[in-house]
Amino acid sequence: MNLLLTLILATLNLFQTGQQQDQKARQGLYAITNARIETVSDGTIENGTVLIEGDRIVAVGENVVIPASATIIDGTGLRVYPGMIDSGTQLALTEVGSVQETNDTNEVGDVTPHMDALTAVNPNAVAIPITRVAGITTVITEPGGGLLPGLAAMINLFGYTPEQMQAGGVKLLVLQFPTKPRAGGGFRRFGGGERPDPDKAYNNALDKLNEIWDRAELYDRIVTEYTASPAGKTQPVYAPEMDAIRPVIRGDRKLMLKVSAEKDILAALDWVKERELTNVVFSGVSEGWRVADKLAEAGIACIVGPILATPTRSSDRYDRAYANVGMLVEAGVKVAIRTGEGDNVRNLPFNAGFAAAYGLGKEAALRAVTLGPAEIFGIDADYGSISVGKKANLFISDGDPFETSTNILALFIDGFNVPIESRQIDLYREFLNRDEGRLTPVEVLPADH
Amino acid sequence: MFHTFHRCRTYLTLLASALLILAATPFDALAQKDSPDIPTVSNVVAIQGVRIIQAPGRVIESGTVVFRDGVIEAVGRRVDIPYDASVIDGSDLSVYAGFIDALTNVGVPEPKQQTGAPPSVPDRSNPTFERAGITPEKDVRVLLDPSDKSVGAHRKIGFTTVHTVPYGRMLPGMTAIALLTGDDAASMIYSDATATMFKFQGARGVYPGTPMAIMAKFRQLYKEADRRNHLESMYREDPVGMVRPPYDPVHSAFIPVIEGDQRVFAFTDDALEIHRALNLKEELGIDMVLTGLSAGFDAIDRISETAVPVALTLGVPEKPKWAAKIKKDSLDQILGSYTDDTRTATFRDVEAERRNLEAKQLISRARYLGMPAAYEEAGIAFAFTSYGVKTSEIRSNLREFIEGGLSEDAALAALTTNAADLLGLSASMGTVEEGKIANLIVTAGDLFDKETKIKFVFVDGHKYEIKSPSKSDDKDKDKDEDERRDKDR
Amino acid sequence: MNTKTVYSVGQSLLLLLFVAQFATAQNVVIRNATVLSITNGTLENTDVLIAGGIITEIGTDIRAPRGTQEVDATGKFLMPGIVDAHSHIALSSINEGSSPVTAEVSMEDVVNPYHLGIYRALAGGVTTSHTMHGSANVIGGQNETIKHRWGVTDPDDLRFDGAPRTIKFALGENPTRTHGRRASGGTGAIVPSTRMGVEQVLRSSFENGKRYMEAWDDYHLKVATDSRAIPPVYNGRLEVMADIIRGNILVHCHSYRADEILMLTRVLADYGVRNITFQHANEAFKVAPELAAFGAHASVFSDWWSYKFEVYYSTSYNAAILMRNGIVTSINSDSGELNRHLFHEAGKSQRYGGLTDDEALSMITINPAIQLGIQDRVGSIEIGKDGDVVIFDSHPLSVYAIPEMTFVEGKKYFDRFEDADDMRMEVSPTAEIGMYEGQITGRDRFNHDGEIINFFELFGQETTLNFEDN
Repeated sequence: MNLLLTLILATLNLFQTGQQQDQKARQGLYAITNARIETVSDGTIENGTVLIEGDRIVAVGENVVIPASATIIDGTGLRVYPGMIDSGTQLALTEVGSVQETNDTNEVGDVTPHMDALTAVNPNAVAIPITRVAGITTVITEPGGGLLPGLAAMINLFGYTPEQMQAGGVKLLVLQFPTKPRAGGGFRRFGGGERPDPDKAYNNALDKLNEIWDRAELYDRIVTEYTASPAGKTQPVYAPEMDAIRPVIRGDRKLMLKVSAEKDILAALDWVKERELTNVVFSGVSEGWRVADKLAEAGIACIVGPILATPTRSSDRYDRAYANVGMLVEAGVKVAIRTGEGDNVRNLPFNAGFAAAYGLGKEAALRAVTLGPAEIFGIDADYGSISVGKKANLFISDGDPFETSTNILALFIDGFNVPIESRQIDLYREFLNRDEGRLTPVEVLPADH
Repeated sequence: MFHTFHRCRTYLTLLASALLILAATPFDALAQKDSPDIPTVSNVVAIQGVRIIQAPGRVIESGTVVFRDGVIEAVGRRVDIPYDASVIDGSDLSVYAGFIDALTNVGVPEPKQQTGAPPSVPDRSNPTFERAGITPEKDVRVLLDPSDKSVGAHRKIGFTTVHTVPYGRMLPGMTAIALLTGDDAASMIYSDATATMFKFQGARGVYPGTPMAIMAKFRQLYKEADRRNHLESMYREDPVGMVRPPYDPVHSAFIPVIEGDQRVFAFTDDALEIHRALNLKEELGIDMVLTGLSAGFDAIDRISETAVPVALTLGVPEKPKWAAKIKKDSLDQILGSYTDDTRTATFRDVEAERRNLEAKQLISRARYLGMPAAYEEAGIAFAFTSYGVKTSEIRSNLREFIEGGLSEDAALAALTTNAADLLGLSASMGTVEEGKIANLIVTAGDLFDKETKIKFVFVDGHKYEIKSPSKSDDKDKDKDEDERRDKDR
Repeated sequence: MNTKTVYSVGQSLLLLLFVAQFATAQNVVIRNATVLSITNGTLENTDVLIAGGIITEIGTDIRAPRGTQEVDATGKFLMPGIVDAHSHIALSSINEGSSPVTAEVSMEDVVNPYHLGIYRALAGGVTTSHTMHGSANVIGGQNETIKHRWGVTDPDDLRFDGAPRTIKFALGENPTRTHGRRASGGTGAIVPSTRMGVEQVLRSSFENGKRYMEAWDDYHLKVATDSRAIPPVYNGRLEVMADIIRGNILVHCHSYRADEILMLTRVLADYGVRNITFQHANEAFKVAPELAAFGAHASVFSDWWSYKFEVYYSTSYNAAILMRNGIVTSINSDSGELNRHLFHEAGKSQRYGGLTDDEALSMITINPAIQLGIQDRVGSIEIGKDGDVVIFDSHPLSVYAIPEMTFVEGKKYFDRFEDADDMRMEVSPTAEIGMYEGQITGRDRFNHDGEIINFFELFGQETTLNFEDN
């Protein structure tokens, strides 16, 4: 019997009530029984039950009373994990990289902080099912391009509209921090031609950022005062860009500061301190290990990744990018892991696996894709672990989800039992034995060969 | 008549004064090329009581050099000075053989730099030869211009002879030996069609652009030229009934190379290009000379084995910015703490990592500076080439090579005797000996010392007085000085 | 120097060479490992002896000759060195994109042994790479199979001696964009700009190659009796086409769409060429029966898709489907980042298609070796094969597996514990220190077109966007 058939049967066997597995995701009353539950928040329950009702986890434990009307999923030999969170992607904002019409990440202009990525999220992006069948239930999807490209949004990977997908109301202002000149190429041609002054471009960018921020701070004062007592005052000017930045200045909205190089991180730390911003998270941070002590001291959480990348410098140790996040944690930095992907976000667990192997450890790695980001983004009341009262974002696997040999067998997002289906799985089904349904023979190669 | 007589008197007074002055001064300024309106009165020059470095290791502490009509007539401790010689007092001076540059563009006016997008072609896979940078038939002789700035700049630092080639890309053209003197191009030329040049610089925007295409194109031209050569000899033998062989100047330019009558001077800019050039040489059986060889320390073994003639670059890598500000003892300290086994475990090790990387960079730079010394030690005779190097940096670069271990004798040999050997000029150039061309450098002090000024350069017997620049010559900001750089690169 | 001196100097040199030979031909015995032989199953607690660069013994308690380096691999896993069938490392240049047909160029001419990517791949267990011309042209240049002998400075010393010649073809969006759809640098568009054009470029190249071959064969017959026979024009490009037709060069074709894959099989069949490996071949699974019948091989990504339209309808189950349909399938990297964890990429075929351990591992060992024609030398741990092996701390298909030592021909080129951090062979004497250089990530597949020469776009500068150049 081929393995696919085994897989299908295995999935069917999960439903003891004999209910047909259909393609429709449904909420309801589910009991996952006899499973090993990795709660993340409260350790491992070797043999327990998770009870899901509506969009919430209503019970977790070894002795859970299972209502008679519950759909039972026998988790014997299986494991339950919180749905994984990728804290930095472009998922659902892009479809085919080289086809510009399908890419909604980069708007024209350097200063577009009001561009709201959530608006452009395509709930029908082909990559969404492909991603969630790996056990990833939630991602942050980011705009890109200029200095202030827009607002990133946190979305669950199930929903028919962007609003349905929105998770925890999380929106972040993205700032691509100006980068100091990078290393030039080629060293054998000495005496080469003139280069435009690289430092000048950097200083201009930094000046621009500061100019924007100064105005935003002024705008904040104006609007605050006007809102407090509008009587007799002219209305503040229409500045949607500033409206987007204002919550950040007031501390109500998190700033996602994208920065990677050592010197840039130091400059960013200074800038954040100067501007007295406390609701900040750094993203990228590929050279974070070099200044881990300063990041820890500043108490700034870091979204690190992609882990599966080459070192940032040719003089660096070959595994530096794998070890980076572990080194940050060791120094006391709070972390989450990101892939930065648009269509292969499904590799998040493998990024986490490599981080685990190269110093982070399995437990911290799991936390960095579950409760860690939930805490960082302030949604840990609803996300990030298998705990009573939290959203039913979880999956069932037959092993460690970071291992490639593990299969994800069932998936819950917002309490919906989302089928393990995707276009790529469909193609597998159809083409594994393409000519299985054929009775009339046909020449596989044209007759003249 | 009265006023004429009066003027006559003034003239005579002036002449008398001039003669008196001339009699009193030991220097004869009359033969200066920069005053062509002053007539030459003597074709013989004698430098008396001067320290003569005839060749590396052959020194006459105090002697006389006499040359007439551009040929050295006598060299020795005691030499009879011809009565009509203009005599130069050589006390506290030294005389060396003039430098020979094994490959350069000096004497060819630099073409205007091409900016912007390359000119379009109808089919970039099949451009014209010219557009592809393939011009082996181009003859440098028609391009020479003795008034070009590069000539004076090169001469000022001691070069008297250059093996010069047109500007260009993959196959820039045919070279010639030129003397850095003369009023017109023809008078510069010493010999013609010495060699053809090849380098790994691709065409802009058309085939061949990349190094692998350059090599494939070279093979293609060579092999097709070989075929045509065969056809041409058949046709010459008996044209009856035979289709006329195809002809174009580019393929024909390869025939002397195929026949072994012409050498290929290959310019290489890194260690890999050395191997690639040698591979072509071995594959096609070309008589090749390697020039440039930047980073050639890794290829010493192969070069030694193949016994290919070499001319090393006079260029050195720019000093890293951080090192420029640091004193020598700090540099020594950095080198002292260097370890080969770098382990940067955490952020705490970042400082130590930096110091180690600095040391590594210094060590790398030292390899470049020590390359001529390494060739000397390996017993490989080499000349020098200034191709692609700023003339204003050559003297200080030479000093760095010497500090890097190159003996002064080897440095001098590279610029004189070895270069003459390489170019087949030993009979007439390279040493201060009777019968050779009067190409000489006269210095106040040891030639390679930082402080030494070059006083005169003689090219083909013509005297050039070198006025000392305002600053030390490795920071020469003289506007007339020649920025010798291959702008095409 | 008199004759006697010359003689004694010569003798000393010979002695030195003799000793040097022993020094380079390493003897090493790796003890007590779990040996994943690939072709002969898994052997527990087994020793492997490599002498003179060759695997000479596999067994328990092997008696090793005196002077053999001893490596205790108790608790560890030993697998054959990984073979990467699609790479662009160790090259000074990748794409000669000025013409749709550049069969005459060869990567052999531009091998760069200084490239740090060689070491970094060793740290991921790769010992042999098929480093290739880019995919800008319908018929690109010849590729080069190299061994990761990190530290040599002569490019020839990286060569995998005896490896068959191979050539790069490319179908689909890349060549049609480079030559037809992108009228760049002010030059006009040339064929191909569609998949129809690609077929015609292939056919005319093969036909011209065939006629060229016939003309020269004719000439060689004629000139034996008539010394005045006129040789045909020499054409380096058609020389290579003729060699492909003669079967002396293996074709490796960058391709994606099912229809273009079939097109190439028809063209090749017309010229009697049967040896073909389709590279990437994201849609090969749709024509698996045809490919199996043709005897074609496939070298694919583990899971790359959607960076271009021609890969939008891919599936990560591609490798498994092809393997299950009897096609020799390998997983490659085409990336200086991916090639550092090909063992992990192979593992993905277990999630996407349920392949067994040996099946998964064969895709990065014996199968790519077959596709490169070097299966007699590498790809499994068998007596007589090259001593190219990797020691892992745990099973290589686990995401937590860490390669610890990599050997090429018995010489250790990577040691996780002994190697310094900075393993560069060349250090720039001028570059500023402490600079962020950049990273290769998985997103690099979006720069797949970065393989293409951008000298059209960059004013006055010829550069290849060598994304390996980090």
